[in-house]
Amino acid sequence: MARELDDAILLLRTNEPEIGIWVLKTRGDLNAVLKTDAILMRRRSHWLVKETIGMLRRTLARLDVSSRSMFALIEPGSCFGGTLLELVFAADRSYMLATPEDESTAPVSTGPVIATSMINFGAFPMVNHLTRLQTRFCGDGSPIEKVFNQTGEPFRADEAARLGLVTFTPDELDWDDEVRIAIEERASLSPDALTGMEANLRFAGNETMETRIFGRLSAWQNWIFNRPNAVGEQGALKVFGSGSKPNFSWERI
Amino acid sequence: MSINYSEKIPNNVDLANDRKLQRALEHWQPRFLTWWQEQGPRDSSSDDVYLRTAVGVDAQGWASYGYVKMPDYRWGIFLADPIADRKIGFGDHYGEPAWQQVPGELRSQFRRIIVTQGDTEPASVEQQHLLGLTCPSLYDLRNLFQVNVEEGRHLWAMVYLLHGYFGRDGREEAEQLLARHSGDRDNPRILGTFNEPISDWLSFFMFTYFTDRDGKFQLKSLAESGFDPLARTCRFMLTEEAHHMFVGETGVGRVVRRTLEVMKELGTDDPAAIRAHGAVDLATIQRYLNFWFTSSLDLFGSEVSSNAASSFASGIKGRPDEDRYEDHVCADATLELETPDGTESVSLRNAMNEVMRDAYIKDCEIGLKRWNMQIKRAGYDIVLRLPSKHFCRSIGAWAGVPVDPEGKLLDQQDYDQRLADWLPSESDRAFVHSLMQRVVEPGKMAGWTAPPDRGINKHPVDYEYVRLH
Repeated sequence: MARELDDAILLLRTNEPEIGIWVLKTRGDLNAVLKTDAILMRRRSHWLVKETIGMLRRTLARLDVSSRSMFALIEPGSCFGGTLLELVFAADRSYMLATPEDESTAPVSTGPVIATSMINFGAFPMVNHLTRLQTRFCGDGSPIEKVFNQTGEPFRADEAARLGLVTFTPDELDWDDEVRIAIEERASLSPDALTGMEANLRFAGNETMETRIFGRLSAWQNWIFNRPNAVGEQGALKVFGSGSKPNFSWERI
Repeated sequence: MSINYSEKIPNNVDLANDRKLQRALEHWQPRFLTWWQEQGPRDSSSDDVYLRTAVGVDAQGWASYGYVKMPDYRWGIFLADPIADRKIGFGDHYGEPAWQQVPGELRSQFRRIIVTQGDTEPASVEQQHLLGLTCPSLYDLRNLFQVNVEEGRHLWAMVYLLHGYFGRDGREEAEQLLARHSGDRDNPRILGTFNEPISDWLSFFMFTYFTDRDGKFQLKSLAESGFDPLARTCRFMLTEEAHHMFVGETGVGRVVRRTLEVMKELGTDDPAAIRAHGAVDLATIQRYLNFWFTSSLDLFGSEVSSNAASSFASGIKGRPDEDRYEDHVCADATLELETPDGTESVSLRNAMNEVMRDAYIKDCEIGLKRWNMQIKRAGYDIVLRLPSKHFCRSIGAWAGVPVDPEGKLLDQQDYDQRLADWLPSESDRAFVHSLMQRVVEPGKMAGWTAPPDRGINKHPVDYEYVRLH
């Protein structure tokens, strides 16, 4: 799986520079994912498991430094648990479908759920040496502790939102519009500005040599303001205030 | 609470089958009613008012008359009939099919414009909530209430767009429209003019003549929008807005007529004598007119505006009656603009506010002609005039520049000294307030206004338009 994902990332990065938004989805059995994680964690001193975790770590880290907007869509039938939940944390935004609590009949609703596993708490550090959860909560320990205390428990959308694990939880009536509009809106913004903004937001908190390269606002600003999309003939700074729309090159770098 | 939608909320948007809209309205509708009780016309909820209700968009449907208690008014949701294959009529998207959904990239701009428009509707109801207590006649009281319920319906129209097309943030914005209040220190209405209370009827007539006319022009420009549901909503709102301006035009006209009667009776145009006789002298009317006209001019925004340019370019907001113009793209056109530093040539797209303002001023002239005709017929050579568009501005290039109503640049000291000749003073306001006594006998008018030429819906003037309880 790590190889296929790595392949997909590199393929899109190399061959499809104009595709600026990646939508991350999963499909499958959440419990199977959590069980796999449990095996990985239990046997983590085995050389093959070590290599596997290493490969997954590198692949996920590649997402963090990919200059594309990433939205994770958590829909019914998805299996964002443990390792795969890292995709949600790596994404710039996540949308999780909220379903009304059905008090009358079924105790288990059909809405999507997510769950953490032990693997989320240290196995896949980002290039800033922090876990994605630590980065998400800017190093604040108490929300992480809350999540940790419920490791393995399935969270529905309202709970996931309360714990701060997902960005938006539209319900069935709003879902299509919210997702469509979010994607259309993102796709219309300057690709350079988005690259700069995303890189910065993905590496909040502690700095390392890598984050100095990938996630420094000042570095990105100098770059963004010199790009043709900003100062070219039809660049955003040139046409600002005239009512004309800038003419962007949609290629991400 | 379950609502029988087609019964309670007349509409042509298939509300009965739209779950998304139903759910949003279930939350919002009770809040709207609470708001109406708290902020709407004071002490009027049990009165039976002879009101016009829109129950459809065709000729019969949009004006059905009957006695209604205002809290039971059937605020409906109506869009003008769609135009088949409508194309966007201006800007960079000229000639492309109109949007039936909000394009994601323009979402926040559309939302802001709809919220700003929507905010003015309940704001004006709040501004006027005490006026009913000092009405000059039952006829006028009914007109005030008609204006109020229709402003309420216009709020519904904007809320429909927010609920129907803007998802969760739309619902939040709709709640905010009821949470902000005119003049509230902590949570005021968005536009400054709408935070000033309207406490006398002369101001109310001026407001409906000048400020509602600004509303008319905003609606006309939004009726051109590339976002079709917004365009259709505004087209229907315009049919109602016409009544508000009618109230303003005839309202001021009747005050003028009464003043002329008094002048004739007394054989003098001395303001003090006219005032002593309980009518408003023409000079005071002119000062009120100056005030409301200039503050309405500010609502169009700065002469040079990048917002206006981008709204036009991206197809959000056109010019009123866009099809009267030849060039709908205006990519390279320029406009000569008068500024305090001389004439400046600016890109036409940036000057769209000014284009609208000029069209508005022309429209304002019509009523003045009628009022002046009355004065002339009565044999006086006094003329009511619109002041220069540079006079007394608070927004744009002319903001704070000492210009007299003729448009002449003065030095600041001179200007400050003469300002009281041009704008209503404290004593003017106090005098007009002193006239505001409630008259509620059918057919009877307060002493400062003349009766209207005709009643409503072919009823006589002395019809009991409001049954007070």
